[in-house]
Amino acid sequence: MTQPTILLVEADILIRNPLAQYLRECGYQVLEAIDATEAHALIGAKESSIDVAMIDANAHAETAFELARWIRQNVPEAEIVMIGSVERAVKEATGLCEDGPALTKPYNHQAVFDLIQRRLAARKRHQDSEK
Amino acid sequence: MVSASASETEPSPLSQEMDILLVEDEVLNRWLFAEELRAAGFRVVEAGSADEAWAYLMAGGKADLVFSDIVMPGAMDGRDLCKQLNHKFPAIKIVLTSGNSGPMSDVKYERFLQKPYHFDHAIWIIRKALRT
Repeated sequence: MTQPTILLVEADILIRNPLAQYLRECGYQVLEAIDATEAHALIGAKESSIDVAMIDANAHAETAFELARWIRQNVPEAEIVMIGSVERAVKEATGLCEDGPALTKPYNHQAVFDLIQRRLAARKRHQDSEK
Repeated sequence: MVSASASETEPSPLSQEMDILLVEDEVLNRWLFAEELRAAGFRVVEAGSADEAWAYLMAGGKADLVFSDIVMPGAMDGRDLCKQLNHKFPAIKIVLTSGNSGPMSDVKYERFLQKPYHFDHAIWIIRKALRT
């Protein structure tokens, strides 16, 4: 049986990686795209369809909404979830995880949120120390 | 896919807890190889540039081995990343790959793999590098 597939479009590796890892442990296949160009390439290459597209609406809003429109027209079966904040992203991932194929859920979603926040804070400290 | 040559001894299986930081700007190569690595039992972090890989490591992200393309857009390329790893994270194993440039003498790494490479050979190289 093929795993349901989530396309995750998020420019920041510190957010994308923990979300993708969490969703994989919930039983999904996750395609990671940094931007709309990569998302198009992955959709074109994937033989089976995309079930859910999670798109970061923050970084390049216009491109994000253009991508969402394109997916709606070309992959109409895909559910589209726009994520605008870490809280929202983790909340949506939690909902997907609860509906996901894995019977045993990997860990509390709070752990995902905490990990992202820790890494973002570490990056800020590093950037501040470089100034 | 072609296996590693028969003259090379197969490294014994590694723990499934090894983390590979895969740095590749070409998304389809990155996706396909990441899936092969996961199927082989590795945890994989996908980075689309050396800048992303460095941001991940500097934020406390874990990697036992960095598998990196050399020629990539951004402030850093694979060679710069390798230099930084040598300096800041000397324990992390490094395998470099490129279709446009060859092995380098001014940075330390375990192996260089010419593109295009077969996934199972690259995985064999990674397992071997992790054993050294």
